[in-house]
This record gives sequence, structure tokens and C-alpha cells, in this order.
Amino acid sequence: MENNFFGEETAIILGLGELRVGKCPLGTIGLGSCIALILHDQRRSLAGLAHIMLPESRGIVNRPGKFADTAICALLDEMVVFGSTKSSITALVVGGASMFEFSANSLNIGERNAAAVKDLLQKQGISIEHEETGGKVGRSVYYWPEGKGRLIVKRADGTCTTY
Amino acid sequence: MELDPFQKDALAEFGNIGAAHAATSLSEMLMSPIEMTVPEVRAIDIADLHKHISNEISAIVVFQIQGEVADGGYVVVSMPKETVIYLTNKMLGTTDIDREINEMDQSAAIEIGNIMISAFLDATAELLGIVMLPSPPALAIDMAHAAFESIIAQVASDVNDVLIFNTELTSEVPPVYGGIYMLPNTALTQQLFCMLEQLVEPLS
Repeated sequence: MENNFFGEETAIILGLGELRVGKCPLGTIGLGSCIALILHDQRRSLAGLAHIMLPESRGIVNRPGKFADTAICALLDEMVVFGSTKSSITALVVGGASMFEFSANSLNIGERNAAAVKDLLQKQGISIEHEETGGKVGRSVYYWPEGKGRLIVKRADGTCTTY
Repeated sequence: MELDPFQKDALAEFGNIGAAHAATSLSEMLMSPIEMTVPEVRAIDIADLHKHISNEISAIVVFQIQGEVADGGYVVVSMPKETVIYLTNKMLGTTDIDREINEMDQSAAIEIGNIMISAFLDATAELLGIVMLPSPPALAIDMAHAAFESIIAQVASDVNDVLIFNTELTSEVPPVYGGIYMLPNTALTQQLFCMLEQLVEPLS
């Protein structure tokens, strides 16, 4: 495992419901049932990240990053402004864990989040390059948009993987 | 959501009464004194949650508030792993502290949460003259922030800020540390404001 602590310090950390497009490293800390959706344009070393909380916006537009449907549209729109075309964009999906044991389904919204994001990506014709969803473990995500892009996922059980 | 000084004071006092009863129940169980901080009440934007909730591996015990308030939100007890292991040892008379969380720890965490939160809700509901009951508990042993996300997703689907009450309970000997959080949903928040205003009316 290479030393990745330098990069993490400079990464912009996105809170619940936030989204951002840029060439700088992006990350989210402590991802549970939420989804980190990363759209990446290799040719422009450009990436967008959304910290998605719920599957459907049901008409709420004031916080696009919060919902799967509005987040995907907002990320694509912003990346197009930077010169990306939909055909050059690939996706990475991380998160959507079911955090609670002995719980009714209401707290375990992770599965629905993951399904909604994947469904919407398919409808937009964006291929998923890497996916790590479900399970019962919290994750932190860091992404470097440069070139092919580099993803680090740190899990609550202490394991850490670079892609 | 902006809280005016009256609302902030009233909610802090409300949390104080609940937390004091929870601290007493924990203290009785451990047969040792427990310190508590004055409750903090904050309305925070969901995007800033990671500035308020740590990423430390903790046992998070969650209860939905039920009773005369329909699906009123959640109360949460959060304890670091070390505290849970200590409390299990104390209850079972075991001594091994350098180990992973096991099933007994999970049961212990839930039971401690149950006792503390029952006391918390009993006391606060009595103050308001209503009935508030905890749902059966749910448990996560994970990054605290990751567990809180699921709760926020339930209370903040339509709004972008949430009300968080937080009290910390500590004890040097035994080395125990824990936090009690309450996250009322929008309906319960409004109901709380109304009831607390009525409560002080005869004085004004």
C-alpha cells in the first residue's frame, strides 16, 4: 500500500447531499447507507462526485446532490459545461450499506439507493467501471480524477483498497 | 432553521432533564458516579454532519420515538468500542479488554441503550405531559458518521437541516464515555416548541 495520506489532506470532502465537479481530489468520509457516485472523464482528467442520501427527489430541487435522480442530472450538466460528452464518461458507485441489525427496513435504505443509482446510470447509457455497494460496513472514499483516475476505499473494518 | 434564544434554552433544558435521568440510570447500573455535560442543541445543515459526528468506530444504538408523537424521530446512544467492551466485562465479570466486539457486547450495548433511553424518554415525556416510548432498538457497530447517515435520511428527506441534541456522559473510574443524541423530525420539532412554550406561559 502506497502512502496516500498526502492526497487525502488536499481532497475536498463532500457532506451529505453535496456534489462537486472538478479536477481536484474529491472524497466523502463515513459513508453508510448513502452512495458516493463518481462520474469520470478520463480524457479531461475531470470528475464529479455526489454524496447521495435518498433514491428519489419527488420534486424537491433545492439540493440536487441529495437524491439519486437529481444528482446524476446535475453532475452530467456540470461536466458537459467543462467540455465532457456523455460517451466519454464512466461511473464508479460506492456505498449503500445496510448499517443496522435488528432493524425494520426503514433504516436500511442503502439497497434502494444503490438500485436507484444503477438504474438511472443504465438509462443514461453510462457504464459502471467499478462498483462496491451493499454489505454492512461503513466506507470512506477518495478519488483522484487525473488520467485513468484512482479510487481508494477505506472500510470500517480497517481494510483499504486502491483501484 | 434558526433557533431563537428562548427555543434554544427551552430545548436545552428539555434535553438536560432527559439526559440527567439517563445518566442516573447508567450510574446506578455501574454503581459509580457518572459526569454529564450540559446538553447542546444545534440546528445543523445535513451537509455539515461530518463536522459534528466523528468517524470513530462506535456502537450506535438507535430507537425510534413512538407513543403520542407519531414517528417522532430518533434517539441514539453512541459509545466507543472500548466503552462497550468495558461495560460487557463489568456485567459478566470478565476481564479481557484487548479483543474484538462479540455477540455479548452487542447484547450489552443494546441493553445499556435500552435502560438509558427509557429513562430519557420517560423523563422528557413526563415534563411535557405526553407519552413517548422507544421502539425496539437497532444496532450498528461501525463508523459513527456512517450510522448517523441512515437516521438523517429518515428525518431529513424533505428538509436540509436537522435539530441535534447532544449530551456526553463520562466517568474516569470506570473509564466510560458515551453520547446521547436526539434527532426529532420536523413534526415533532414543531410539537416540542409548542409544548415548551405552553409550559412556561403561566410564568410570563
